Amino acid sequence: MNVLAVLPHLASYLLAPQPWDNLELFFDQSVAGIATGSIYGLVALGIVLIYRSTDVINFAQGELALFVTFCGWSMIEAGYPYLAMFALVILIAGGLGAFLERTVIRPVEGAPVLNVVIVTLGLFVIFNSLTAFIWAQGELPKSFPATPIGTELETFDFGILTLQQHRVAVIIISVIVAACLYLLFNRTKLGLAMRGTAQNRVAAQLMGINTGRMLMLGWALSAMVGAVGGMLVAPIIFLDLTTMLRVILFAFAAAVLGGLDSPPGAMIGGITIGITQNILSTFALGPVFFGPQLALPAALLVLVLVLLIRPTGLFGRHAVRRV
Amino acid sequence: MLPGLEKFYEFLVLAALVGVLIRYTPVLPARWRVPVAVIAVLAVICYMPFTVGTFRTSQLTTITIWSIVAIGLNVLTGYNGQISLGHGAFVLIGAYTAAILTDSESQLGFFDGAQWPFWTAMIMSGLVAAVAGVAVGVPSLRLTGPYLAVATLSLMIALPSVLEKYDSVTGGAQGLHPRQPPVPGFLDGILERPEWFFFLAFVTAVIMAAIAWYVVRSRWGRAFVAIRDTEVAALAVGISVARYKVLAFTISAFFAGVAGSLVALASTGFVSPQTIGIVLSINYFTAIVIGGLGSIMGSIIGGFVVVLLPDLATDIGTALFGEQRGARLWPTIYGSILILVIIAMPYGVAGFLHRAAAVKPADIAGAISRTPRNALAYLADTRERLTWRWTERDGKRGDAP
Repeated sequence: MNVLAVLPHLASYLLAPQPWDNLELFFDQSVAGIATGSIYGLVALGIVLIYRSTDVINFAQGELALFVTFCGWSMIEAGYPYLAMFALVILIAGGLGAFLERTVIRPVEGAPVLNVVIVTLGLFVIFNSLTAFIWAQGELPKSFPATPIGTELETFDFGILTLQQHRVAVIIISVIVAACLYLLFNRTKLGLAMRGTAQNRVAAQLMGINTGRMLMLGWALSAMVGAVGGMLVAPIIFLDLTTMLRVILFAFAAAVLGGLDSPPGAMIGGITIGITQNILSTFALGPVFFGPQLALPAALLVLVLVLLIRPTGLFGRHAVRRV
Repeated sequence: MLPGLEKFYEFLVLAALVGVLIRYTPVLPARWRVPVAVIAVLAVICYMPFTVGTFRTSQLTTITIWSIVAIGLNVLTGYNGQISLGHGAFVLIGAYTAAILTDSESQLGFFDGAQWPFWTAMIMSGLVAAVAGVAVGVPSLRLTGPYLAVATLSLMIALPSVLEKYDSVTGGAQGLHPRQPPVPGFLDGILERPEWFFFLAFVTAVIMAAIAWYVVRSRWGRAFVAIRDTEVAALAVGISVARYKVLAFTISAFFAGVAGSLVALASTGFVSPQTIGIVLSINYFTAIVIGGLGSIMGSIIGGFVVVLLPDLATDIGTALFGEQRGARLWPTIYGSILILVIIAMPYGVAGFLHRAAAVKPADIAGAISRTPRNALAYLADTRERLTWRWTERDGKRGDAP
């Protein structure tokens, strides 16, 4: 390896397609990036909801979503209509989240904070193997239906843009979920109580808020948001045991990029990562300069660089601690 | 000795019993208990490779290598309070360094083409990983808690693809086949290959544990702990926080690098980007939390637990659900045991032992004598407890917290 060996790389970088050479492809890829990014954002939102209230990164988030999405697949097989399945899966996820908070998270609440991390890692292993045990007998990967708005293969034609119908559905549903959460947290008394619990548990308790119930609700909400993410991503990359593993790593990156205590940051971080990933793998920088193997490290390098400039993510608050 | 228990586990129980008995019974004078207990346990473990068979011996080697990584990670996380989920990356760097140095064909003309003796390659692996540790530790100074955890995890995610990309050095996805050190002449005929590999790893682990023991009790170790407990106060008493944080990262990466060289030389004899995966990297972290943060003995126990627990979970699974289902359900049992252990022992196994040792016989007798009375009182109380719940729901006891 010497310095001259870099020259061909540089030359091919300059000759490779640039974003401004093919604007249509650029826009297409951007919108596709927004769609995958909103899925990352939804799962990241689940992580952030839990982190805000309990200071814990929930490693089991993705596997929980995978488990309930497989439940949804079974319901579709049993002949349930899509919308009924969608609602039922969200309900199951909420119940499961609340149940887990009550049974395994609460006993380690007073313990050192890393213990909760171990519990979520244990849950990760449990749900992954349960999913494998129940659904891995048949053929994998399984195909999962898209929303009634449109399928993965057909496209909507908007003149300058042709978009896959499912991507449009993903963006619409993500906006709806984000709006619902915004309204819940900012316009209802329950949301106020949850924010109070997240900010200062003792003070919230003194105001008469049942903080234990708020934490339980936080876990339920987080699992529900994750389940929506799981059901939206399953039609795109099929339902397999590793489906959510691929999503969860980017969701972690999204949550950290946006700041672990900022729900809007999670969505923005997710969309940023989605777009970056798509553009990097389509245009000059991606395939030529980094090569297909280095697309993932390049995306992570961006994350680390952002963290070096803003150590608590783009929108995270810097915690000031009194000694 | 015990019915229904494999010889391997019998010896482990024996080692644990011997250690606990010598450490906690007043047979020896207090200052001799710890060293004698350590030597006795090590002696039992030394004897094991000769009786438990090849598979269990290589498993012991794996445990030993895990313990080295866990000790290093504990210096960083347990003593210095910096979380790293990406220690597998340093292990991988160490493994590749050892594989390249001991194989003349893959040395890229950097050196004179001669094969390095295995022990210099091992030290070099540690040093290369330590340099990587500095490179990671300096930018990590700005990050704390979960942000640091995700940043180090992303290092672990990225490294395998980087190794595959530069395949002229690393052999790409095919990996490298390092030259494993042969049994040295003076031990020929005494030790078989797996036993020699075990003792190589074992002696290294003992040396590394001794180094760690010395470090955490030195000026450095006290600085680490001070920074972990309160960074601002450490700064105020004149500790250079930045320097010691990077130092902790460096030491920790050195341990991981040496362990990595053992992965290459004494364990699989094969190194590829998939040798250390993301899950394994996170499991190093699991090992130290389960074993006990801020404890060298805890790290070693953690190594035993994380390597042997999958086996044990499979045994439990087959006992509970039958042969086929048990083999497929073992991760569920493994995860459940992890959760139960961490709920029952919030400060890890080492913390549990430490607290159990402080219990006096009188306390136990008192607890036993109080149990029936407490149980009766609890049962008698049941009705009132239930009614209390209901009245609370009706809002009649609104003043209760």
